[in-house]
Amino acid sequence: MSALVRYQTALLLRSQRWLAPVLLYVAFVAVGVQPGNPVLDSLGYAAAGLLPVGAWLARLCVTQEPAAARECAAAAAGPGRVHLAALATALGTTVLLGAAGTLYVVAVGDPASADHRVAVPLGPAMAAGLLASAVCALLGAAVGALGSRPLLHARGWSLCLTALAALLALVAKGSPARYAVNGLVNGSRTGDVHLAVVPLIAAAALTAAAWAAVCALTSRRG
Amino acid sequence: MGRRYGIGGPWVLRGVDLELAVGTLVRVEGTNGTGKSTLLRLLAGIDAPTEGRALGRPRTAYVPERFPAALPFTAVGYLTHLGRIHGLSRRTAATRAGEWLERFGAGAHARTPLAELSKGTSQKVAAAQALVAAPELLVLDEAWTGLDTAARAELDRAVAERVADGAAVVFVDHDPRRLVDAVDTRYAVERGGLVRRTEAAHPAVSPLVRVHVVGPVPPEGLPGAPTLTPGPDGAHTHTLTVAAAHSDALLRALLTAQPPWHIRGVSRP
Repeated sequence: MSALVRYQTALLLRSQRWLAPVLLYVAFVAVGVQPGNPVLDSLGYAAAGLLPVGAWLARLCVTQEPAAARECAAAAAGPGRVHLAALATALGTTVLLGAAGTLYVVAVGDPASADHRVAVPLGPAMAAGLLASAVCALLGAAVGALGSRPLLHARGWSLCLTALAALLALVAKGSPARYAVNGLVNGSRTGDVHLAVVPLIAAAALTAAAWAAVCALTSRRG
Repeated sequence: MGRRYGIGGPWVLRGVDLELAVGTLVRVEGTNGTGKSTLLRLLAGIDAPTEGRALGRPRTAYVPERFPAALPFTAVGYLTHLGRIHGLSRRTAATRAGEWLERFGAGAHARTPLAELSKGTSQKVAAAQALVAAPELLVLDEAWTGLDTAARAELDRAVAERVADGAAVVFVDHDPRRLVDAVDTRYAVERGGLVRRTEAAHPAVSPLVRVHVVGPVPPEGLPGAPTLTPGPDGAHTHTLTVAAAHSDALLRALLTAQPPWHIRGVSRP
Protein backbone atom coordinates (compact mmCIF):
# COMPACT_ATOMS: atom_id res chain seq x y z
CA MET A 1 0.00 0.00 0.00
CA SER A 2 2.81 2.43 0.81
CA ALA A 3 4.35 1.82 -2.63
CA LEU A 4 0.99 2.62 -4.21
CA VAL A 5 0.59 5.82 -2.20
CA ARG A 6 4.16 6.81 -3.10
CA TYR A 7 3.37 6.20 -6.78
CA GLN A 8 0.13 8.20 -6.63
CA THR A 9 1.81 11.03 -4.73
CA ALA A 10 4.64 11.18 -7.26
CA LEU A 11 2.04 11.24 -10.05
CA LEU A 12 0.16 14.10 -8.42
CA LEU A 13 3.23 16.19 -7.57
CA ARG A 14 4.95 15.73 -10.92
CA SER A 15 1.82 16.31 -12.98
CA GLN A 16 1.39 19.78 -11.44
CA ARG A 17 -2.37 19.28 -11.45
CA TRP A 18 -2.31 19.96 -7.73
CA LEU A 19 -1.45 23.56 -8.57
CA ALA A 20 -4.98 24.73 -9.43
CA PRO A 21 -6.80 23.51 -6.29
CA VAL A 22 -3.91 24.55 -4.04
CA LEU A 23 -3.81 28.02 -5.59
CA LEU A 24 -7.58 28.27 -5.19
CA TYR A 25 -7.26 27.52 -1.49
CA VAL A 26 -4.34 29.90 -1.05
CA ALA A 27 -6.32 32.68 -2.77
CA PHE A 28 -9.42 31.88 -0.71
CA VAL A 29 -7.49 32.09 2.57
CA ALA A 30 -5.42 35.10 1.49
CA VAL A 31 -8.50 37.10 0.54
CA GLY A 32 -10.72 36.02 3.41
CA VAL A 33 -8.26 36.00 6.30
CA GLN A 34 -6.86 39.42 7.03
CA PRO A 35 -4.27 39.95 9.75
CA GLY A 36 -6.05 41.01 12.93
CA ASN A 37 -9.31 39.17 12.18
CA PRO A 38 -10.77 37.17 15.09
CA VAL A 39 -8.92 33.84 14.98
CA LEU A 40 -11.88 31.49 15.45
CA ASP A 41 -13.92 33.15 12.69
CA SER A 42 -10.98 32.87 10.32
CA LEU A 43 -10.38 29.23 11.28
CA GLY A 44 -14.00 28.41 10.45
CA TYR A 45 -13.71 30.21 7.13
CA ALA A 46 -10.44 28.46 6.23
CA ALA A 47 -11.86 25.03 7.15
CA ALA A 48 -15.00 25.59 5.07
CA GLY A 49 -12.92 26.49 2.03
CA LEU A 50 -11.00 23.24 2.35
CA LEU A 51 -14.00 21.03 1.60
CA PRO A 52 -14.42 21.79 -2.13
CA VAL A 53 -10.63 21.78 -2.52
CA GLY A 54 -10.52 18.30 -0.97
CA ALA A 55 -13.24 17.10 -3.34
CA TRP A 56 -11.33 18.53 -6.30
CA LEU A 57 -8.08 16.85 -5.23
CA ALA A 58 -9.87 13.50 -4.77
CA ARG A 59 -11.33 13.80 -8.25
CA LEU A 60 -7.88 14.67 -9.65
CA CYS A 61 -6.19 11.73 -7.97
CA VAL A 62 -8.61 9.05 -9.16
CA THR A 63 -8.61 10.33 -12.74
CA GLN A 64 -4.95 11.29 -13.19
CA GLU A 65 -3.72 7.94 -14.53
CA PRO A 66 -4.30 6.95 -18.16
CA ALA A 67 -6.46 3.81 -18.33
CA ALA A 68 -3.61 1.61 -19.58
CA ALA A 69 -1.31 2.59 -16.72
CA ARG A 70 -4.14 2.17 -14.22
CA GLU A 71 -4.75 -1.37 -15.48
CA CYS A 72 -1.08 -2.28 -15.09
CA ALA A 73 -1.11 -1.09 -11.47
CA ALA A 74 -4.50 -2.74 -10.89
CA ALA A 75 -3.22 -6.11 -12.08
CA ALA A 76 -0.28 -5.81 -9.69
CA ALA A 77 -2.11 -4.63 -6.59
CA GLY A 78 -5.84 -5.02 -7.24
CA PRO A 79 -8.09 -2.24 -8.57
CA GLY A 80 -9.64 -1.51 -5.17
CA ARG A 81 -6.27 -0.91 -3.55
CA VAL A 82 -5.13 1.32 -6.42
CA HIS A 83 -8.28 3.39 -6.00
CA LEU A 84 -7.86 3.53 -2.23
CA ALA A 85 -4.25 4.70 -2.63
CA ALA A 86 -5.38 7.51 -4.95
CA LEU A 87 -8.02 8.65 -2.46
CA ALA A 88 -5.58 8.44 0.44
CA THR A 89 -3.09 10.55 -1.52
CA ALA A 90 -5.76 13.20 -2.09
CA LEU A 91 -6.82 13.17 1.57
CA GLY A 92 -3.22 13.42 2.76
CA THR A 93 -2.59 16.41 0.49
CA THR A 94 -5.80 18.09 1.66
CA VAL A 95 -4.98 17.53 5.34
CA LEU A 96 -1.51 19.04 4.85
CA LEU A 97 -3.03 22.00 3.05
CA GLY A 98 -5.56 22.44 5.85
CA ALA A 99 -2.84 22.27 8.49
CA ALA A 100 -0.84 24.93 6.66
CA GLY A 101 -3.94 27.12 6.41
CA THR A 102 -4.66 26.67 10.14
CA LEU A 103 -1.10 27.58 11.06
CA TYR A 104 -1.29 30.70 8.90
CA VAL A 105 -4.61 31.80 10.45
CA VAL A 106 -3.31 31.22 13.99
CA ALA A 107 -0.15 33.17 13.15
CA VAL A 108 -1.88 36.25 11.73
CA GLY A 109 -5.28 36.19 13.49
CA ASP A 110 -6.24 38.16 16.57
CA PRO A 111 -6.49 35.76 19.55
CA ALA A 112 -9.78 37.24 20.73
CA SER A 113 -13.54 36.82 20.33
CA ALA A 114 -15.43 38.48 17.47
CA ASP A 115 -15.94 41.68 19.48
CA HIS A 116 -12.25 41.66 20.48
CA ARG A 117 -13.20 41.64 24.18
CA VAL A 118 -12.60 38.05 25.34
CA ALA A 119 -9.15 36.55 24.87
CA VAL A 120 -9.01 33.21 23.03
CA PRO A 121 -6.17 30.81 24.00
CA LEU A 122 -4.16 30.09 20.87
CA GLY A 123 -3.30 26.44 21.67
CA PRO A 124 -6.90 25.20 21.94
CA ALA A 125 -7.88 27.46 19.02
CA MET A 126 -5.27 25.81 16.84
CA ALA A 127 -6.43 22.34 17.94
CA ALA A 128 -10.03 23.28 17.11
CA GLY A 129 -8.94 24.64 13.73
CA LEU A 130 -7.01 21.47 12.91
CA LEU A 131 -9.99 19.30 13.89
CA ALA A 132 -12.41 21.36 11.81
CA SER A 133 -10.11 21.28 8.78
CA ALA A 134 -9.73 17.51 9.20
CA VAL A 135 -13.55 17.17 9.21
CA CYS A 136 -13.79 19.24 6.03
CA ALA A 137 -10.89 17.38 4.37
CA LEU A 138 -12.55 14.04 5.12
CA LEU A 139 -15.95 15.11 3.80
CA GLY A 140 -14.33 16.67 0.74
CA ALA A 141 -12.59 13.37 0.06
CA ALA A 142 -15.91 11.54 0.44
CA VAL A 143 -17.68 13.94 -1.93
CA GLY A 144 -14.86 13.74 -4.48
CA ALA A 145 -14.82 9.93 -4.31
CA LEU A 146 -18.58 9.67 -4.87
CA GLY A 147 -18.54 12.30 -7.61
CA SER A 148 -15.98 10.69 -9.93
CA ARG A 149 -15.15 7.27 -11.31
CA PRO A 150 -16.23 4.56 -10.79
CA LEU A 151 -19.65 6.08 -9.99
CA LEU A 152 -19.69 9.02 -12.41
CA HIS A 153 -17.66 8.74 -15.59
CA ALA A 154 -19.06 11.66 -17.59
CA ARG A 155 -16.98 14.76 -16.93
CA GLY A 156 -19.83 17.28 -17.01
CA TRP A 157 -22.09 15.43 -14.58
CA SER A 158 -19.14 14.63 -12.39
CA LEU A 159 -18.07 18.27 -12.03
CA CYS A 160 -21.64 19.60 -11.54
CA LEU A 161 -22.60 17.02 -8.94
CA THR A 162 -19.28 17.27 -7.11
CA ALA A 163 -19.58 21.05 -6.81
CA LEU A 164 -23.22 20.77 -5.69
CA ALA A 165 -22.45 18.03 -3.18
CA ALA A 166 -19.51 20.00 -1.77
CA LEU A 167 -21.80 22.99 -1.22
CA LEU A 168 -24.49 20.80 0.36
CA ALA A 169 -21.92 19.15 2.63
CA LEU A 170 -21.13 22.61 4.01
CA VAL A 171 -24.65 23.96 4.48
CA ALA A 172 -26.95 20.93 4.90
CA LYS A 173 -28.38 20.34 8.33
CA GLY A 174 -26.71 17.39 10.04
CA SER A 175 -23.50 17.61 8.04
CA PRO A 176 -20.43 17.18 10.29
CA ALA A 177 -18.67 19.94 8.32
CA ARG A 178 -21.45 22.40 9.15
CA TYR A 179 -21.24 21.45 12.81
CA ALA A 180 -17.49 21.88 12.86
CA VAL A 181 -17.49 25.23 11.04
CA ASN A 182 -20.46 26.59 13.01
CA GLY A 183 -18.81 25.48 16.23
CA LEU A 184 -15.84 27.73 15.44
CA VAL A 185 -17.86 30.69 14.16
CA ASN A 186 -20.44 30.63 16.98
CA GLY A 187 -17.71 30.10 19.56
CA SER A 188 -16.02 33.24 18.25
CA ARG A 189 -18.95 35.38 19.51
CA THR A 190 -18.34 34.37 23.10
CA GLY A 191 -14.68 33.44 22.89
CA ASP A 192 -15.39 29.73 23.58
CA VAL A 193 -13.32 27.11 21.76
CA HIS A 194 -15.37 24.07 20.63
CA LEU A 195 -13.40 20.98 19.65
CA ALA A 196 -15.21 19.17 16.84
CA VAL A 197 -14.54 15.64 18.07
CA VAL A 198 -17.96 14.14 17.36
CA PRO A 199 -18.12 15.70 13.86
CA LEU A 200 -14.66 14.25 13.20
CA ILE A 201 -15.81 10.74 14.13
CA ALA A 202 -18.96 11.15 12.03
CA ALA A 203 -16.95 12.49 9.07
CA ALA A 204 -14.46 9.63 9.33
CA ALA A 205 -17.29 7.08 9.36
CA LEU A 206 -19.03 8.69 6.37
CA THR A 207 -15.80 8.87 4.39
CA ALA A 208 -14.87 5.28 5.22
CA ALA A 209 -18.28 4.11 4.01
CA ALA A 210 -18.06 6.16 0.79
CA TRP A 211 -14.52 4.95 0.08
CA ALA A 212 -15.39 1.33 0.79
CA ALA A 213 -18.28 1.56 -1.69
CA VAL A 214 -16.30 3.15 -4.51
CA CYS A 215 -13.25 0.91 -4.01
CA ALA A 216 -15.47 -2.18 -4.16
CA LEU A 217 -17.15 -0.83 -7.31
CA THR A 218 -13.99 0.02 -9.20
CA SER A 219 -13.42 -3.53 -10.49
CA ARG A 220 -17.05 -3.61 -11.70
CA ARG A 221 -17.47 -0.21 -13.29
CA GLY A 222 -13.86 0.66 -14.13
CA MET B 1 -17.75 -16.90 -14.47
CA GLY B 2 -19.49 -14.31 -16.59
CA ARG B 3 -19.14 -10.61 -17.31
CA ARG B 4 -21.40 -7.95 -18.68
CA TYR B 5 -20.95 -4.21 -18.73
CA GLY B 6 -23.68 -2.09 -17.20
CA ILE B 7 -26.83 -3.24 -15.48
CA GLY B 8 -28.87 -5.38 -17.86
CA GLY B 9 -26.30 -5.09 -20.64
CA PRO B 10 -25.59 -8.06 -22.92
CA TRP B 11 -23.35 -10.77 -21.58
CA VAL B 12 -19.88 -10.51 -23.07
CA LEU B 13 -18.82 -13.78 -21.48
CA ARG B 14 -20.86 -16.38 -19.69
CA GLY B 15 -20.25 -19.78 -18.21
CA VAL B 16 -16.49 -19.49 -18.49
CA ASP B 17 -14.67 -22.11 -16.44
CA LEU B 18 -10.91 -21.92 -16.74
CA GLU B 19 -8.16 -23.27 -14.55
CA LEU B 20 -4.61 -22.12 -15.07
CA ALA B 21 -1.94 -24.58 -13.98
CA VAL B 22 1.52 -23.42 -12.98
CA GLY B 23 4.15 -23.48 -15.69
CA THR B 24 1.70 -23.41 -18.57
CA LEU B 25 1.39 -21.18 -21.59
CA VAL B 26 -2.19 -20.55 -22.67
CA ARG B 27 -3.27 -18.93 -25.88
CA VAL B 28 -6.71 -17.34 -26.22
CA GLU B 29 -8.10 -16.96 -29.73
CA GLY B 30 -11.18 -15.43 -31.21
CA THR B 31 -12.27 -12.89 -33.76
CA ASN B 32 -12.39 -9.20 -32.92
CA GLY B 33 -14.95 -8.14 -30.35
CA THR B 34 -15.70 -11.61 -29.00
CA GLY B 35 -14.52 -10.84 -25.50
CA LYS B 36 -10.87 -11.93 -25.50
CA SER B 37 -9.75 -8.75 -23.79
CA THR B 38 -12.62 -9.00 -21.29
CA LEU B 39 -11.48 -12.51 -20.42
CA LEU B 40 -7.90 -11.34 -19.97
CA ARG B 41 -9.00 -8.46 -17.76
CA LEU B 42 -10.94 -10.90 -15.58
CA LEU B 43 -7.91 -13.18 -15.37
CA ALA B 44 -5.63 -10.27 -14.50
CA GLY B 45 -8.01 -9.18 -11.75
CA ILE B 46 -8.59 -5.76 -13.31
CA ASP B 47 -12.31 -6.49 -13.68
CA ALA B 48 -14.46 -8.54 -11.35
CA PRO B 49 -16.83 -11.12 -12.88
CA THR B 50 -20.51 -10.16 -12.82
CA GLU B 51 -21.37 -13.71 -11.86
CA GLY B 52 -19.12 -16.42 -10.57
CA ARG B 53 -15.76 -15.95 -8.95
CA ALA B 54 -12.09 -15.87 -9.72
CA LEU B 55 -10.36 -18.11 -7.18
CA GLY B 56 -6.78 -17.60 -6.15
CA ARG B 57 -4.84 -14.45 -6.84
CA PRO B 58 -1.19 -15.09 -7.69
CA ARG B 59 1.15 -12.16 -8.15
CA THR B 60 -0.14 -10.87 -11.44
CA ALA B 61 1.15 -8.59 -14.16
CA TYR B 62 -0.69 -7.36 -17.23
CA VAL B 63 0.50 -5.89 -20.50
CA PRO B 64 -2.11 -3.84 -22.36
CA GLU B 65 -2.21 -3.67 -26.12
CA ARG B 66 -1.58 0.05 -26.22
CA PHE B 67 0.35 1.92 -23.60
CA PRO B 68 0.14 5.60 -24.52
CA ALA B 69 1.13 6.48 -21.00
CA ALA B 70 1.23 10.23 -20.58
CA LEU B 71 2.76 9.83 -17.14
CA PRO B 72 5.14 12.36 -15.60
CA PHE B 73 7.92 9.80 -15.10
CA THR B 74 11.02 8.68 -16.93
CA ALA B 75 10.92 5.12 -18.24
CA VAL B 76 13.14 3.81 -15.47
CA GLY B 77 11.31 5.89 -12.86
CA TYR B 78 7.96 4.42 -13.85
CA LEU B 79 9.32 0.88 -13.88
CA THR B 80 10.85 1.40 -10.43
CA HIS B 81 7.47 2.55 -9.07
CA LEU B 82 5.75 -0.48 -10.61
CA GLY B 83 8.44 -2.80 -9.26
CA ARG B 84 7.85 -1.44 -5.77
CA ILE B 85 4.08 -1.87 -6.16
CA HIS B 86 4.88 -5.50 -7.02
CA GLY B 87 6.74 -5.71 -3.72
CA LEU B 88 10.38 -5.25 -4.72
CA SER B 89 12.78 -3.09 -2.75
CA ARG B 90 13.75 0.24 -4.27
CA ARG B 91 17.23 -0.94 -5.23
CA THR B 92 16.07 -4.23 -6.77
CA ALA B 93 13.27 -2.46 -8.62
CA ALA B 94 15.65 0.13 -10.09
CA THR B 95 18.21 -2.49 -11.11
CA ARG B 96 15.65 -4.77 -12.74
CA ALA B 97 14.03 -1.79 -14.48
CA GLY B 98 17.34 -0.96 -16.16
CA GLU B 99 17.97 -4.60 -17.04
CA TRP B 100 14.60 -5.09 -18.70
CA LEU B 101 14.87 -1.88 -20.68
CA GLU B 102 18.28 -3.11 -21.91
CA ARG B 103 16.83 -6.49 -22.84
CA PHE B 104 14.15 -4.87 -24.96
CA GLY B 105 16.69 -2.57 -26.58
CA ALA B 106 15.35 0.55 -24.88
CA GLY B 107 18.27 1.11 -22.52
CA ALA B 108 19.09 4.39 -24.22
CA HIS B 109 15.64 5.69 -23.32
CA ALA B 110 15.84 4.84 -19.61
CA ARG B 111 15.99 8.52 -18.64
CA THR B 112 13.55 9.73 -21.28
CA PRO B 113 10.18 11.00 -20.01
CA LEU B 114 7.41 8.55 -20.93
CA ALA B 115 5.49 11.27 -22.71
CA GLU B 116 8.35 11.69 -25.22
CA LEU B 117 8.72 8.00 -26.09
CA SER B 118 7.70 6.60 -29.44
CA LYS B 119 4.78 4.19 -29.60
CA GLY B 120 7.08 1.19 -29.91
CA THR B 121 9.31 2.22 -27.03
CA SER B 122 6.25 2.86 -24.86
CA GLN B 123 5.17 -0.69 -25.59
CA LYS B 124 8.60 -1.90 -24.49
CA VAL B 125 8.08 -0.08 -21.20
CA ALA B 126 4.66 -1.74 -20.91
CA ALA B 127 6.22 -5.17 -21.40
CA ALA B 128 9.05 -4.38 -19.00
CA GLN B 129 6.69 -3.28 -16.20
CA ALA B 130 5.04 -6.70 -16.31
CA LEU B 131 8.30 -8.62 -16.21
CA VAL B 132 10.21 -6.52 -13.71
CA ALA B 133 8.91 -8.44 -10.68
CA ALA B 134 8.82 -11.96 -12.20
CA PRO B 135 5.03 -12.43 -11.77
CA GLU B 136 3.36 -15.79 -11.12
CA LEU B 137 0.64 -14.97 -13.63
CA LEU B 138 1.44 -12.96 -16.72
CA VAL B 139 -1.42 -11.72 -18.91
CA LEU B 140 -0.51 -10.32 -22.34
CA ASP B 141 -3.17 -8.62 -24.44
CA GLU B 142 -1.55 -8.35 -27.87
CA ALA B 143 1.58 -7.16 -26.13
CA TRP B 144 3.69 -7.79 -29.24
CA THR B 145 1.80 -5.21 -31.30
CA GLY B 146 4.02 -2.23 -32.02
CA LEU B 147 7.28 -3.88 -30.94
CA ASP B 148 10.18 -4.17 -33.36
CA THR B 149 11.37 -7.62 -34.47
CA ALA B 150 14.16 -7.87 -31.92
CA ALA B 151 11.89 -6.84 -29.06
CA ARG B 152 9.24 -9.34 -30.19
CA ALA B 153 11.79 -12.11 -30.08
CA GLU B 154 12.94 -10.89 -26.67
CA LEU B 155 9.36 -10.93 -25.38
CA ASP B 156 8.98 -14.48 -26.73
CA ARG B 157 12.08 -15.47 -24.77
CA ALA B 158 10.89 -13.67 -21.65
CA VAL B 159 7.55 -15.52 -21.84
CA ALA B 160 9.35 -18.84 -22.25
CA GLU B 161 11.47 -18.00 -19.21
CA ARG B 162 8.43 -17.19 -17.10
CA VAL B 163 6.79 -20.49 -18.07
CA ALA B 164 10.01 -22.40 -17.36
CA ASP B 165 10.10 -20.62 -14.01
CA GLY B 166 6.70 -22.04 -13.09
CA ALA B 167 4.50 -19.05 -13.93
CA ALA B 168 1.26 -19.26 -15.86
CA VAL B 169 1.18 -17.07 -18.96
CA VAL B 170 -1.99 -16.23 -20.88
CA PHE B 171 -1.82 -14.32 -24.12
CA VAL B 172 -3.77 -13.06 -27.09
CA ASP B 173 -1.99 -12.22 -30.33
CA HIS B 174 -2.85 -11.69 -33.98
CA ASP B 175 0.02 -13.82 -35.18
CA PRO B 176 -1.15 -17.47 -35.25
CA ARG B 177 2.47 -18.62 -35.09
CA ARG B 178 3.26 -16.65 -31.95
CA LEU B 179 5.00 -19.06 -29.54
CA VAL B 180 3.27 -21.89 -31.40
CA ASP B 181 5.70 -24.56 -30.26
CA ALA B 182 5.55 -23.56 -26.64
CA VAL B 183 1.76 -23.19 -26.20
CA ASP B 184 0.34 -25.82 -23.86
CA THR B 185 -3.36 -25.11 -24.25
CA ARG B 186 -5.36 -23.09 -26.71
CA TYR B 187 -8.80 -21.68 -26.01
CA ALA B 188 -11.20 -19.88 -28.29
CA VAL B 189 -13.74 -17.31 -27.20
CA GLU B 190 -16.86 -18.05 -29.24
CA ARG B 191 -20.34 -16.63 -28.80
CA GLY B 192 -19.67 -15.54 -25.25
CA GLY B 193 -18.22 -18.84 -24.09
CA LEU B 194 -14.80 -20.40 -23.85
CA VAL B 195 -14.01 -23.47 -25.98
CA ARG B 196 -10.94 -25.54 -25.34
CA ARG B 197 -8.96 -26.44 -28.43
CA THR B 198 -6.83 -29.27 -27.27
CA GLU B 199 -5.35 -30.48 -30.53
CA ALA B 200 -1.62 -30.08 -30.80
CA ALA B 201 -0.05 -27.14 -32.54
CA HIS B 202 -0.41 -27.12 -36.32
CA PRO B 203 2.38 -29.21 -37.80
CA ALA B 204 2.34 -26.95 -40.84
CA VAL B 205 3.48 -23.98 -38.79
CA SER B 206 5.77 -25.98 -36.53
CA PRO B 207 8.86 -26.78 -38.60
CA LEU B 208 11.44 -29.16 -37.19
CA VAL B 209 15.22 -28.88 -37.31
CA ARG B 210 17.69 -31.75 -37.20
CA VAL B 211 21.03 -31.26 -35.52
CA HIS B 212 23.72 -33.84 -36.31
CA VAL B 213 26.27 -34.07 -33.51
CA VAL B 214 29.31 -36.08 -32.52
CA GLY B 215 29.86 -36.98 -28.89
CA PRO B 216 28.67 -39.29 -26.11
CA VAL B 217 24.96 -39.88 -25.42
CA PRO B 218 23.31 -36.46 -25.03
CA PRO B 219 22.05 -35.69 -21.52
CA GLU B 220 18.42 -35.31 -20.48
CA GLY B 221 16.86 -31.88 -20.24
CA LEU B 222 18.17 -30.27 -23.41
CA PRO B 223 16.18 -27.21 -24.58
CA GLY B 224 13.05 -28.17 -26.50
CA ALA B 225 13.27 -31.84 -25.42
CA PRO B 226 14.72 -33.11 -28.74
CA THR B 227 14.06 -36.63 -29.96
CA LEU B 228 17.25 -38.61 -30.23
CA THR B 229 18.15 -41.03 -33.02
CA PRO B 230 21.52 -42.73 -33.46
CA GLY B 231 23.45 -41.42 -36.42
CA PRO B 232 24.14 -43.48 -39.53
CA ASP B 233 27.91 -43.92 -39.00
CA GLY B 234 29.14 -45.13 -35.65
CA ALA B 235 28.07 -45.03 -32.04
CA HIS B 236 29.16 -41.45 -31.33
CA THR B 237 27.01 -39.67 -33.85
CA HIS B 238 23.46 -38.68 -33.04
CA THR B 239 20.67 -36.79 -34.66
CA LEU B 240 18.61 -34.50 -32.46
CA THR B 241 15.25 -33.42 -33.85
CA VAL B 242 13.71 -30.34 -32.25
CA ALA B 243 11.10 -27.71 -33.04
CA ALA B 244 12.65 -24.81 -34.91
CA ALA B 245 11.77 -22.39 -32.10
CA HIS B 246 14.15 -24.24 -29.79
CA SER B 247 16.98 -24.86 -32.24
CA ASP B 248 19.05 -21.84 -31.26
CA ALA B 249 18.80 -22.66 -27.57
CA LEU B 250 19.67 -26.30 -28.28
CA LEU B 251 22.75 -25.34 -30.30
CA ARG B 252 23.85 -22.95 -27.59
CA ALA B 253 23.48 -25.67 -24.96
CA LEU B 254 25.44 -28.15 -27.05
CA LEU B 255 28.26 -25.73 -27.83
CA THR B 256 28.65 -24.53 -24.26
CA ALA B 257 28.48 -28.02 -22.72
CA GLN B 258 31.65 -29.35 -21.04
CA PRO B 259 33.15 -30.92 -23.05
CA PRO B 260 31.49 -29.23 -26.04
CA TRP B 261 29.72 -31.22 -28.70
CA HIS B 262 30.92 -31.22 -32.23
CA ILE B 263 28.14 -30.18 -34.57
CA ARG B 264 28.44 -31.75 -37.99
CA GLY B 265 25.44 -30.19 -39.53
CA VAL B 266 22.00 -28.69 -39.16
CA SER B 267 19.27 -29.65 -41.59
CA ARG B 268 15.56 -29.64 -42.15
CA PRO B 269 13.78 -32.97 -42.31
